Amino acid sequence: MHDEPLLEVRNLTVNLLTAKSAVRPVDGVSYSVRQGECLAIVGESGSGKTVMNFAPLGLMPTGVTTMLSGSVKLEGRELIGLPEAEIQKLRGKSVGFIFQDPMSALNPVRRIGRQIAEMAELHLDVTPRAAEARALELVKLVGISDPVARLRQYPHELSGGLRQRIVIAIALAGEPKLLIADEPTTALDVTVQAQILRLLKDVQRRLNMAMVLITHDMGVVAGAADNIVVMYAARAAECGPVDKVLVSPRHPYTQGLINAIPRREDPIGSEFRGLPGIPPTLGAPIKGCALAPRCELAVPACSNSRPPLVRSDDSAVLVACPVVNQGKAAA
Amino acid sequence: MTQAPVLKVENLQTRFKSVQRGKFVHAVDDVSIELYPGEIVGLVGESGCGKSTLGRTIVGLEKASSGRVLLDGVDLSALSGAALRDSRRALQYVFQDPYSSLNDRQTVGEAIDEALVIAGTRSPEERDRRTKELLDQVGLASAVRDRHTRELSGGQRQRVAIARSLAVNPRVLICDEPVSALDLSIRAQVMNLFLRLQKDLGVACLFIAHDLALVRQAASRVYVMYLGRIVEHGSSKELYDRPSHPYSQMLLASAPEVDPRIEKHRRGPLMIGEVPSPTNPPSGCRFRTRCPLAVDDCAKALPPSRVLSPGHTAACTFAADLHRGNRTALVQQEMSAP
Repeated sequence: MHDEPLLEVRNLTVNLLTAKSAVRPVDGVSYSVRQGECLAIVGESGSGKTVMNFAPLGLMPTGVTTMLSGSVKLEGRELIGLPEAEIQKLRGKSVGFIFQDPMSALNPVRRIGRQIAEMAELHLDVTPRAAEARALELVKLVGISDPVARLRQYPHELSGGLRQRIVIAIALAGEPKLLIADEPTTALDVTVQAQILRLLKDVQRRLNMAMVLITHDMGVVAGAADNIVVMYAARAAECGPVDKVLVSPRHPYTQGLINAIPRREDPIGSEFRGLPGIPPTLGAPIKGCALAPRCELAVPACSNSRPPLVRSDDSAVLVACPVVNQGKAAA
Repeated sequence: MTQAPVLKVENLQTRFKSVQRGKFVHAVDDVSIELYPGEIVGLVGESGCGKSTLGRTIVGLEKASSGRVLLDGVDLSALSGAALRDSRRALQYVFQDPYSSLNDRQTVGEAIDEALVIAGTRSPEERDRRTKELLDQVGLASAVRDRHTRELSGGQRQRVAIARSLAVNPRVLICDEPVSALDLSIRAQVMNLFLRLQKDLGVACLFIAHDLALVRQAASRVYVMYLGRIVEHGSSKELYDRPSHPYSQMLLASAPEVDPRIEKHRRGPLMIGEVPSPTNPPSGCRFRTRCPLAVDDCAKALPPSRVLSPGHTAACTFAADLHRGNRTALVQQEMSAP
């Protein structure tokens, strides 16, 4: 394993300006992923988890002005400030993407084989024939039966699980070093979800890629990820190794999220556990801790200043909670 | 249970014409279910199994091809005109997506008032009183009354949708994935609202969902549906402790564990492939193409429903063995292509 992370994000802040409003969906977040590692980024809708990963790579809707600050380094190369033409070369080549909805990620009027080969042609500089051969290889790699016939089909002829396998094949076509999977199993059934997660984990190991798994579902994290960042209202609440964060969560929000998952031992008909209140809407940065209005542990000091991420006793986990971190120095 | 069921569905069938000429999609095929007053009953299955179509057919959003829906013992298909409208009012539907089920241009008050007008509440004073009462019942502050529904969060919108359903004093709520569009931290709040409505108002709930853990905790009984048919039915306790249909066993085993100490070592069985097309369902047992226990006989005839204990039935030749634990569908499998 190399010492240098493949992707290193330091103090990333994203400001989005539209004709009517300005929001800050990502506010000073840092994380890194090494080759062969999987990082899960968990958060509710509006927590900034998707924007954080897509904005530095230029994947933002038109009509929005994106302002980035901080540092995003891919293989030691700074992405912030890079011209769009350079970023475009990275997309699909060094970085592969998997999106939530496989139907809208695929072109409905082109054959599967063509869509995969196109990526190989574009990024690997091979002949169309070699690209077709590569497409066949990739379809086999993602575990699709009868691959020759599948390449001639259109997306609408395939089930949701098969479509997602095709999306994964396309993401792998440029031989990326980093795979960004945005809610790759959310649109799928629980039975198919298990298959796709296992496939993702399998190709990530086999190709020794780094993977960022963006999800709102704590359930998919444990089996796939090595490390986790829990996002709340544009900031990282807690981050560290999955074995530590999911087993003994420290931040009240992480605790609340894990606690909210129904367990087998909960009596039938008993109250569901959850967090009170609702998440803050995006807007101006919040002065203190964003969770304070929903937090049982909150003290007046929580609302005064933004809690820094502080290293916990076993030094692997960082937590941004002034109550949990009482008496410890900032990391 | 000694009470009479409030809703009884008998051998219901819903077919859609297929794009393939002369063929039909058997979305719901010979389904019989019962709902008793004040109980929450789960209906689970993969997407495409027909669970939403069943719910929609019950409330009359789809036309049944055959079978009967009885509300308080009255066959709805025998009614027409005003009598049908009155009966239907007792059956209400809560949709999955509160972003598309509400009119963005209405205020919360207008949205609820509209439901009350349709319910036949004439006097404005009475509607005003009921609106306040309904907002209170679904846990919304009366201050939201003048806000537009588009200004509300997902959880609040779903509460407004529930208030609209409750406006007509329904006996039965058909809830189609009512919390799956909501954030995890909000889900519990809406689920607790359902539990409270069931206790306070005695409304019976058919809870359609794919989240098995959620259903286990909320429902007293559960129906498991596969490709248009009910394959297993039992109390939540029985069904989750001793699933006795291979499909239920595998469905329950597919749910991931949150604890990495368990999940990382779980090389459990994976369900093979996906649900086959309901246009050409497999002969005999519908599940046999994905079932690790399937034998030749499974292709010949539909397996009859076997009673395993009072109130627990499963439609599988091996149900008794599976129930006793002599056999399991959870055999180790290699990851195989669909």
